[in-house]
Amino acid sequence: MANNDLELLQGTLDLLILKTLTWGARHGYAIASWIRDTTQQRLQIEDGALYTALHRMEKRGWIEAEWGVSDNNRKAKYYQLTSKGRRQLRVKTAVWTEYAAAVFQVLKTD
Amino acid sequence: MIRRFPGLRRLLHIERGRATVDRAVDDELRFHFDMTMRELMAGGMNPEEARRETQRRFGDVQRTRERLTTIDRSRVGQEQRAEWWSAFAQDLRYALRGLRLKPWFAVAVILTLGLGIGANAAMFGIVDRLLFRPPPFLDAPARESRIYLMRSIRGTETSQSFTGYRRYLDLRETTTSFDAMTPYYVNKAAIGTGEATLEMNVAISGSDLWKMFAIKPAIGRFFTAEEDVPPAGTRVAVLSYSYWQTEFGGRKEALGTLMDIGPAKYTIVGVAPDGFNGFELDPVVAFIPISAENAAVGRGGPENPWYSTYNMTWFEVFARRRPGVTEAAATTDLTNAYRQSYRKQTEANPKNQPYALTKPHAMVGPVLRDRGPNERSDAKVASWLIGVAGMVLLIACANVANLLLARALKRRREIAVRIALGVSRGRLLMQLLTESLLLAILGGGLGIAIAQWGGIAMRRLLLGQDDSGPSAFADSRLLLFAIALALMAGILTGLVPAFQTGRGDVASALKAGSREGVVHRSRLRVGLLIVQAALSVMLLIGAGLFLRSLSNVENVHMGYDADRLLYVGMNARGVKRDSLQNSALRRALLAKAQSLPGVEHATLALTVPFRSSWDFSIYVAGIDSTQRLGSFTLQAGSQDFFATMGTRILRGRSFNSTDGEHAPLVMVASESMVKALWPNQDAIGKCVRINADTAPCTTVVGIAEDVRRQSMAETQMHYYMPADQFNPNIGGLFVRTRGLAADKGEEVRRALQSLMDGGSYVTVTPMTTIIASQIRSWKLGALMFSVFGALALVLAAIGLYSVIAYNVTQRTHEMGVRVALGAQPRDVIRLIVNEGLRIVLPGVALGAVLALVAGRWIAPLLFQVSPKDPPVLVGVVTILVAVATVASWLPARRAARVDPNEALRAD
Repeated sequence: MANNDLELLQGTLDLLILKTLTWGARHGYAIASWIRDTTQQRLQIEDGALYTALHRMEKRGWIEAEWGVSDNNRKAKYYQLTSKGRRQLRVKTAVWTEYAAAVFQVLKTD
Repeated sequence: MIRRFPGLRRLLHIERGRATVDRAVDDELRFHFDMTMRELMAGGMNPEEARRETQRRFGDVQRTRERLTTIDRSRVGQEQRAEWWSAFAQDLRYALRGLRLKPWFAVAVILTLGLGIGANAAMFGIVDRLLFRPPPFLDAPARESRIYLMRSIRGTETSQSFTGYRRYLDLRETTTSFDAMTPYYVNKAAIGTGEATLEMNVAISGSDLWKMFAIKPAIGRFFTAEEDVPPAGTRVAVLSYSYWQTEFGGRKEALGTLMDIGPAKYTIVGVAPDGFNGFELDPVVAFIPISAENAAVGRGGPENPWYSTYNMTWFEVFARRRPGVTEAAATTDLTNAYRQSYRKQTEANPKNQPYALTKPHAMVGPVLRDRGPNERSDAKVASWLIGVAGMVLLIACANVANLLLARALKRRREIAVRIALGVSRGRLLMQLLTESLLLAILGGGLGIAIAQWGGIAMRRLLLGQDDSGPSAFADSRLLLFAIALALMAGILTGLVPAFQTGRGDVASALKAGSREGVVHRSRLRVGLLIVQAALSVMLLIGAGLFLRSLSNVENVHMGYDADRLLYVGMNARGVKRDSLQNSALRRALLAKAQSLPGVEHATLALTVPFRSSWDFSIYVAGIDSTQRLGSFTLQAGSQDFFATMGTRILRGRSFNSTDGEHAPLVMVASESMVKALWPNQDAIGKCVRINADTAPCTTVVGIAEDVRRQSMAETQMHYYMPADQFNPNIGGLFVRTRGLAADKGEEVRRALQSLMDGGSYVTVTPMTTIIASQIRSWKLGALMFSVFGALALVLAAIGLYSVIAYNVTQRTHEMGVRVALGAQPRDVIRLIVNEGLRIVLPGVALGAVLALVAGRWIAPLLFQVSPKDPPVLVGVVTILVAVATVASWLPARRAARVDPNEALRAD
């Protein structure tokens, strides 16, 4: 199964997390589940790497955290986008789309 | 959210310690693991499988955990810094706005602190140079010393740093502790020729001087040991950098040219580096070998040449210990050498005071003169003044603290509201400190400017230097000192109100109306006023004591009329005269001087009070050793000597025309000498043998009043001989002018200069100038204590005024009630003035007691006045009470005019 996993490109994880948070504040577990479900587990992402990315982005000020209560009534750390994070998401999405388009352009040429 | 509102974080109780960060990471990860396990088990796994799958999905838990805590810690640190800076910026804005809103308050505070800091920085600049800073470029300051030789004279030990060449050679040869040793002295010498001749300082030393400083010549070379060999030496000179710049425009061609220094021409061989000035503070123009200088001036004469006599002392010795030699070891070594040298001296001259009596020993002392045993009284006064300046700064701080406190009390409600809103006390403290530090730093800037301009004036007074010296703006030690003072003042003045306001009970401050919140007087403010009053009293008592000393010293009966006397010195440069020609020239000068309309009398004179003295051992029948009584100094003058000086003859006669070279030898003895040698006898007609007990009799023909010529405080045993009988070729002239001597100096100089041939010239110095350096320390003490004392008094008065005025406005209501109940304006005024006095009087008493205690240490600096001088004490207390009365009467008058209707309606 590991062979079919897609290796994650540099910075892509950040983009995915930021995108996930556009629908509101979520805790780390929710983000991990959402990405796994949405990609139908095609992306191989270690949860540890996900948390590292979350904390790094918090330090950069793209997202901010607050402790809240989860659906099952437990204390959980909720992350949400800051305006700086929103800006990052816009920029990164544009860059990634352009990159993908360029790569695809090459690949589809016979 | 939180990031944008720093206060919010505290409000939400988010803590940020190290452990808290770690715990938060663990909590977050545990939640994640629990949730994942639950999901997997819900999907049908057993707990063991679920646990393994969770682990697999996560990756390396331990490493991730470490990575997360590292990231979070650095994030928290970053946030704290950002928060601190934003808080600081906010405080600064707040403080600046406060200053803008009350510009006069700001000006008053900055000026007060500026004066305080400036006075301190200027004093520090001086004391630093006198007592702390070693001469620049000194190679190994810790191993360098000035040498002191101690002897007991009549049972009291005197330490003498001045010595002679023979002694120096002995010390140099016998000691093993030093790797460099040099004589050193600074002499005034005529530099240049003709009209442009100026007397300037020249440093004279051995060649080891250049070893003791880590310097290289700017150009050329320094002089060598071979160029400094007695008896003649080589006439070479090393210029100081600044003289090279001003006289030679820094040109290389200066090397090899001849330069007139005193009586001889010297070849310039090099230039010392910029800023090098030898061991002393007086700026010098050149450095020359000691052999060359002494040979050129012919010191000691042919019979008693400078390099072989023990009897003249005219320079100091500086030495550098070998590495590893302790001060104690060097002192032992040096003492040994001095004792051997002393024995040699006694062998050569059996009349030398016996070893057992004088107990000679030596000491390696600090290079800085004023750190050693013979510190100048100027330096002592300067060290006192730095204490005084410190007191002024304390008073200034107390005043500023008081002003800030008054403001803080007014803002008490505002502060209570802020505390209630959750602003921490630390944060409030920071805010108050920011405000006072801002004020103090602005005051410090002003202080440095004051130190710059005031420092020049003070240096002139204290060090007698006319040069501007290094700029205060460029002196890093002084700048550091001023900044440290400013920070200290800022913290001191800020903490006082901060503690006061931070201490209050929030609830009561909020509950009370604006007035009741502050009505009770602050004990702290009263305490500050008491301290201020005490310090002012101490300073003013100091001022009073020094003023009295100055007036005493100025009214001292010198035994001669200093303000009518000019001393005329003769310098024969490049002109060789035999004794007959010399004698003729002196007589011509004397006759010319006597013929001038502005001159009343003139006389030859061997020595000059406070500048030079001459003594021989004398022998009197019936007295074993007159030396045991002390030294007897000698003056020689011509016929008009006593009329010129204004020294009264008490009994007998003065010199007359019959006391010629071949006539019987005569002398006039001073009162003290007569008392010492012939108590209760008639001295007239007594026989004194001078210099040897086989010498012919010199008969005492008169008794003169005592004169002061070595110390302002005491008279010496002194006697006078006719110049013709002693030696008419040595010394200069005293001229008694009609009217003040200082006004006639130039006239006399021009007239006498016309008789001088070749490069020779006369110098004319008013006697008052010579005495001025003697009374400088009292003048300085009187001036500085008065200035600082007045400053302190004004500051204290302003402080008292502001406190009373403030209290009065706070008590308008109470005054209204009193007036409504029938109190007269007079009663209200008395009430308030009494209150002011009640604050000040304990301070006055405290200050007086402290001044009496401190008097013990200041007594040696005073002149014939007790540190417990009653008129000074009473005067100062009166002044303080008067000032306190006025300072509280002004606001009291306002209180007395309160309209009871209005005051009571305001509630």
